[in-house]
Amino acid sequence: MLRFLVKKLPSILLVLFATSIIAFLLPRFAPGDPAQTIAGPDATAEQTEAIRQSLGLDRPLFVQYLTWLGGVLRGHLGTSYIFNRSVSDLILSRMESTIELAVLASVFMILIGIGLGVLGGSTRSRPGRMAVDTANTLLLATPAFLVGLLLIVLLGVTWRLLPVSGEVPLSENPEIGIQYLLLPALALGLAHAPSISRLLQTTMRSTRGEEFVDLARAKGASPRRITFRHVLRTSLGAAVVAIGIRVGELFGGAIIIEAIFARNGLGQLAVQSVNARDYQLVQILVMGAVLVAVLSQLVTELILAALDPRVRLDA
Amino acid sequence: MRNNDVTTMGAAPPTDTPPTDTSARPAPRTRTPGGNATVRRYLAAFRTPRGVIGLTILAVLLLTAVLAPVIFPHGYDQQTADSLRGSSGRHLLGTDELGRDLLVRTVYGLRTDFSIIVVAVPLSMIAGTALGLVGALSRVAGAVVQRVLDIILGFPGVVLGVCVVLIMGPGWSALVVAIAIGGLPYFGRQARAALLEQMGREYVVAARTLGVGKGAVLWRHILPNAVDPILVGGAIFVVVAVFIEAGLSIIGLGIQPPTPSLGSLLNVGIRFIEQSPMYILGPTAVLILLSMSFSLLADALNETVIRK
Repeated sequence: MLRFLVKKLPSILLVLFATSIIAFLLPRFAPGDPAQTIAGPDATAEQTEAIRQSLGLDRPLFVQYLTWLGGVLRGHLGTSYIFNRSVSDLILSRMESTIELAVLASVFMILIGIGLGVLGGSTRSRPGRMAVDTANTLLLATPAFLVGLLLIVLLGVTWRLLPVSGEVPLSENPEIGIQYLLLPALALGLAHAPSISRLLQTTMRSTRGEEFVDLARAKGASPRRITFRHVLRTSLGAAVVAIGIRVGELFGGAIIIEAIFARNGLGQLAVQSVNARDYQLVQILVMGAVLVAVLSQLVTELILAALDPRVRLDA
Repeated sequence: MRNNDVTTMGAAPPTDTPPTDTSARPAPRTRTPGGNATVRRYLAAFRTPRGVIGLTILAVLLLTAVLAPVIFPHGYDQQTADSLRGSSGRHLLGTDELGRDLLVRTVYGLRTDFSIIVVAVPLSMIAGTALGLVGALSRVAGAVVQRVLDIILGFPGVVLGVCVVLIMGPGWSALVVAIAIGGLPYFGRQARAALLEQMGREYVVAARTLGVGKGAVLWRHILPNAVDPILVGGAIFVVVAVFIEAGLSIIGLGIQPPTPSLGSLLNVGIRFIEQSPMYILGPTAVLILLSMSFSLLADALNETVIRK
């Protein structure tokens, strides 16, 4: 397992390294003086000069990059001159909202994805397959924000079952908080479920043709046992990989869902920072998003390697 | 990070079904009778039930968008005194906060979306395919390109869009660039898969042994065989492209109001959802129809063109 990890490491480090360069260059791509850009439009001349000094903007680009990266790696994420707070403060204050959303959305995604996949991969009646295929196609053609909008119109405006705008942290009031969380998480989870279910379904259908399934059937195993014990277990690997990739995408999708449901999470913070051209903040958020995506992929590949020795040996 | 070819776009064609039926064809397909067979294969896709439904929806949407200035000659900015009204005989989809007809704005929004797709998707397909095939000319360049594509793939779609918007400023061109870059790894990997699969084939080896140059082998033998999966992938990617436009515009980083796009209409519509739930209905329905037409077409192509 350790060898597998070591082999995976270079490509992950490469992605993170490249991301850090892109994040570092972002304010420098923008037209005009980077110090002025970072300080924001309202800064005084002294403030701009102070930023130029503290970031070492008069030194060569390479040195600037090393200084900046060194600071980030030591946990000095910098100060947002536009919000007038430290970047780490800002991120910590918004983190709970996004994590709650992403965790519940992942739960929905996995339950619905595997549920639909098993249904589609085990039913042999034509109408049954048609129904599951149609559900998959419909969900696949509907991204999270559309599911969210439909849920808002149906459950929030027409029937008024659940609140659709704003939030209450679960740590403050779990009972009310979950009501605010339910719809955005469902929208996000539902939209990402079909890529898991389709993969699982295809794998299960082809696994059904394998000889060990015939053997199990010949031995008199019940259909239920064949589905869960023989077919599902050997087909889960593909679904695990799909889940890992999707979890990374969930965080990206959270940006849009938070905007629709007016939640004050990291996604909204990212949008605000882009609109305000707060580069100090954007740099860290971009790196964080890529880090989460890459790590979630790595974790799933590790799980897959643990499940399936072929993966470990191939790598 | 290698296993996700199939899953990143949700419905990518399985890589284990190579286009075996086409690989035996030795000559460039456009100049031989085989060219007609190719056309026939693609036409067959449009005769399957999914193909027919997808093509019909797409044709209606495309016609409406193209003919928008003829159908609604007054443009999308005409204001009336009735703001945020529901559906009525005069305004089928109601009116927006400035009393502008939402049906007109939705059709013009669809026009904006088509204008983005028409530029961004072919751009991404051509550049991505070229990048994927670089490996045929130089092994090192091929490996380097794959690493670069890995890096792009590391960025979740919206985050990539945010970076592009920061550099270029929000608007039409930022969306085109964000979509085109986002598709590169997708098409690049498909082209490379086709490349690796064809490079080992006997006829390619034979051609190389006979002294045909690398470039000629690439152009005459490998590229024609890479076209099928990439065209299917292109149809799937249109859906992704539409969602990127809508997503970025919804968070205010895409097309800027008052210019209508399906996403920018939703951006404003969400703010008035309590007063007028009707507002978002038109753009939402058109978005679903648009994405559905392309995923149906992709399914149809996938069945008839690739699997035999």
